[in-house]
Amino acid sequence: MSGPGGRRFGIEALNVYCGVACIPVRAVFQGRGLDPERLGNLMMETRSIALPCEDPVTHAVNAARPLVEALPPGERARIELVLTCSESGVDYSKSITSYVHRHLGLGRHCRLVELKQACYAATAALQMAVAYVASGVSPGARALVIATDVSLVDAHAGYAEPAMGTGAAALLVSDRPSVLAVDLGAFGNYSYETMDSARPTPGFDVADVDRSLFAYLDCLSHAFGDYRERVEGADWAGTFDRVAMHTPFAGLVKAAHRKMMREHAPAAPAEVERDFERRVAPSLVYPARVGNLCSGSVYLALASLLEREPPTRPLRVGLFSYGSGCSSEFFSGVVDAGSAAALAPLRIGARLDARCELDFGEYERLLAECRGCLVPAADRDVDPGACADILARAGERPPLLALTGVRGYHRQYDWI
Amino acid sequence: MSPGPDGRAGVDRAVREVIASILPHLSPESVSGDRHLRDLGADSVDRVEIVLGAMRRVGVERPLSSFSDLPSVDALVDYLCRAGGR
Repeated sequence: MSGPGGRRFGIEALNVYCGVACIPVRAVFQGRGLDPERLGNLMMETRSIALPCEDPVTHAVNAARPLVEALPPGERARIELVLTCSESGVDYSKSITSYVHRHLGLGRHCRLVELKQACYAATAALQMAVAYVASGVSPGARALVIATDVSLVDAHAGYAEPAMGTGAAALLVSDRPSVLAVDLGAFGNYSYETMDSARPTPGFDVADVDRSLFAYLDCLSHAFGDYRERVEGADWAGTFDRVAMHTPFAGLVKAAHRKMMREHAPAAPAEVERDFERRVAPSLVYPARVGNLCSGSVYLALASLLEREPPTRPLRVGLFSYGSGCSSEFFSGVVDAGSAAALAPLRIGARLDARCELDFGEYERLLAECRGCLVPAADRDVDPGACADILARAGERPPLLALTGVRGYHRQYDWI
Repeated sequence: MSPGPDGRAGVDRAVREVIASILPHLSPESVSGDRHLRDLGADSVDRVEIVLGAMRRVGVERPLSSFSDLPSVDALVDYLCRAGGR
């Protein structure tokens, strides 16, 4: 499933940025008076929290910067396409990508665009980027795909609050797929209009939990069905050595795996559990520590499975991406020992460990300050210094881009 | 394709047994039909398992999304009956 002449295309480098602060999910349950019995099915440990000086632009730049800086200067100019994916837009017209392009210092001979399809957009962008680099229209070109989002949930979100994350995933796409060689032509889609979740204003999310979960599970079955139509002999239990899925919360992915086993490989509960532990569980470690990363979630899951269970031989990974509204895709690719090696310098797990753990009082204060992050304002001051204590508690970190204010609707940033 | 009164009773019994197997603090008899699964203590994953389990028990296959709007256990039973459940 490689390209013409046996060439391979896909993800050359992958990084995630999931903030510098977090809170244990148990503390959110206690603080909100939620039923602790429900922690079991949620399968979440901590959720990442943004600071008031963080927004979708800073998340995107802080995720992508290490990938860009790892390239020799001449190679950076070969990033010819930047696709930023978000359901947390900062302007109706001006894209997040324009700010990201500037603060990453990318060249001017570059195509910029922002895409939106809830939590699915980054997979659409990845497939478009792979098609671009594989098309031969610009041999050797690279594309940068960045999924970036902030959460607006608070006490009103009920049991969804503890499961929401914040941050970004960045994918460098090229004909040197060190992390994931995408199986060209091996994909399946399933999409239809539904009102399962939406963000109708910059400060308010609508979420119909049952409609969304049921749509996610229907889409998984049908998108995989479409994949099987395209890929002769594809089999849920036998084709994929590992599986990584969009993870609104880890418990849903476990339920989704059970459903797929019932439909395609019925087995005793103990065997289903063993299959889950072997093929799926490694992908859930980081999502359970970050929360729902929206369209970056499936790539956080991919990073998790590569770092928590490093491949020692080529393995085929099945990936499922779902975005409310809704659109979904099941696709696949191949990872190998080099994939984990490519991720290692980025120390993704160590950076998750280093996040500053907040208590519930600090958490509530931050939520209140961050809720207006996407609300348009002509002029606004933001003082990153107000978060100096949290940043210091987060320990050693690389320079981070921070929002410093808004002037005439123009967002201002600086490195801290 | 609606079952007779006995058919509905059978679907009702099957649904209550599935609910009790997922929510062990409930007995099949204590499940009140006018309540939403959420109000019986079922979280979102439980609700998925209950709907999937009920479909299997009564021999119905429908998209999960068609269950999103059902307001109560009785409505779930009625829907499964209309879908040919037995």
